[in-house]
Amino acid sequence: MIDDLAAVARLSGVSKRLGGRLVLDGLDLAIRAGEVTALLGPNGAGKTTSVALLTGRLAPDAGTAQLFGIDPRRPAARRRLGVMLQSAGLPDVLTIRELVTLHAGYYPDPRPLNEVLALAGLGDLADRRCGALSGGQARRVQYALAICGRADLLVLDEPTAAMDRGAARTLWGTVRDLADGGAAVLLTSHDLAEADTLADRVLVMDAGRIVADDTPAALRARAGGSVIRCRTTLVPAVAALLPAVREAGMEGADLRIVSVDAAATVRALLDADAQLEALRIADATLEDAIATLLSPIEERKAA
Amino acid sequence: MTALAAPTGVWRREALTEVKRSLRLPQFLLPTALTPAAFYALFTLALPHPEVPGYAVATLAGYGVFAATGPALFGFGAGVAVEREQGLIELKRVSPMPAGAYVAAKLVAAVTITAFALALIYALAIVAGARLSAGTWVVLAMLHLASAIPFALIGFGMGMRMTAKGAVAIANALFLGFSILGGLWIPSALLPGWMQTLGAFTPSYHLGQIARAILDLPTTGSPWIHGAAVLAMTMVAAAWAWTGWRRSPA
Repeated sequence: MIDDLAAVARLSGVSKRLGGRLVLDGLDLAIRAGEVTALLGPNGAGKTTSVALLTGRLAPDAGTAQLFGIDPRRPAARRRLGVMLQSAGLPDVLTIRELVTLHAGYYPDPRPLNEVLALAGLGDLADRRCGALSGGQARRVQYALAICGRADLLVLDEPTAAMDRGAARTLWGTVRDLADGGAAVLLTSHDLAEADTLADRVLVMDAGRIVADDTPAALRARAGGSVIRCRTTLVPAVAALLPAVREAGMEGADLRIVSVDAAATVRALLDADAQLEALRIADATLEDAIATLLSPIEERKAA
Repeated sequence: MTALAAPTGVWRREALTEVKRSLRLPQFLLPTALTPAAFYALFTLALPHPEVPGYAVATLAGYGVFAATGPALFGFGAGVAVEREQGLIELKRVSPMPAGAYVAAKLVAAVTITAFALALIYALAIVAGARLSAGTWVVLAMLHLASAIPFALIGFGMGMRMTAKGAVAIANALFLGFSILGGLWIPSALLPGWMQTLGAFTPSYHLGQIARAILDLPTTGSPWIHGAAVLAMTMVAAAWAWTGWRRSPA
């Protein structure tokens, strides 16, 4: 498979039990060079555990984890890996310059300090101690540590959480450049707009398995067109019977309908409830696509 | 897909950075470096004590080991637990840093702080009239500095397994227990029998006896036996530290 030839990191048939719960269930996953891969899914789907296995913090119970062809727990594998974790902290009393210099020294061919600081937007903060940084600045330091070694694989765990939109856009730009330069990027995010903007490929996880592997555009198309929201007395069970409706549910006080033909659905909707208010129609987003993808699974679980 | 060679100087830079960090935490540095010297000054210089010739030298053996327990137990036991809770160990773990460099750096920092504490105690001993040959000072200092190793490994194993609060509490208990049972404050011979028996299971007791042998003071049994006991305890502590690192998820 082409997949396998280009893969820089791979989980093959991996199962992992944590605290008595089967978190990963025979998972197969490959990360390719030159691509931004987003790993998405509900809490508890196994994203964090997958990342922990790929970064060498956990070992699989069954199956194999490989990073550049070897066990990720070996420091040699991690010399080509840069990681930005949400759960990691920074040493308060070291300056940004000292910390980045220390981490760059772990790599065989590190990026020059000034280049790292410029890419992470930290140029004017080099001599500030890590304990004196805001949440967004601390995230930028974590990003600097991830990119300081010219890693061939970047793992970014919720990279722009706690960042303002401007800082997030700057980061997205540099991540895109690094991927275009040949690096593999694995991204986990709760911000689906971020995944949509940045990812070339989206892996959707649920219950320890991959349930979808596609481009963001293909996933959006799969969700089928449009999302209709309105205030109405119609209940979702009735709305679901209207023409072209794929899915109906409540979203706060609004009725939310996913439709493959917005015009047909809206005509029927207005016929059914003349008092209908606050009608809005939008293109399906990646979030809608994933909600649609996961809903049959939710039903199956409930059954 | 080839693995890249390790860069040189990683261990050295890690150690220098760790020492720098320790020196920037006066709230940790000052109490751990000053407490042993304050105890030594109180019991050897200020309070009335038996008019034995060489008293300042006799007590020096135990207080030097005492100086090594604090930085090691608190810097490692409590310090590692706090760093784990803050996510600093996770930051290191996903980096290409070899695990050994982290432990070695922490050990260098603990030994550095121990060196400050020892310098103060040795200076007080000289003021109190202790006169030793240069060679004896050097051997004594090497033993006292090396005393930090078993305590540091015990502390590291604790830090990888316990919460910060738990590790601080246990570090305090061990700090007192090792000092008293090991005869670092009051000579073992003056302790009740059961405390002497328990003391034989502490590295501090055996290290204290080796220090006494270096100072030509009477010891219980051969210093070689004490050396073997310390070595065995250090190896058990190393295994405890290593398994703690391996099994901890973060």
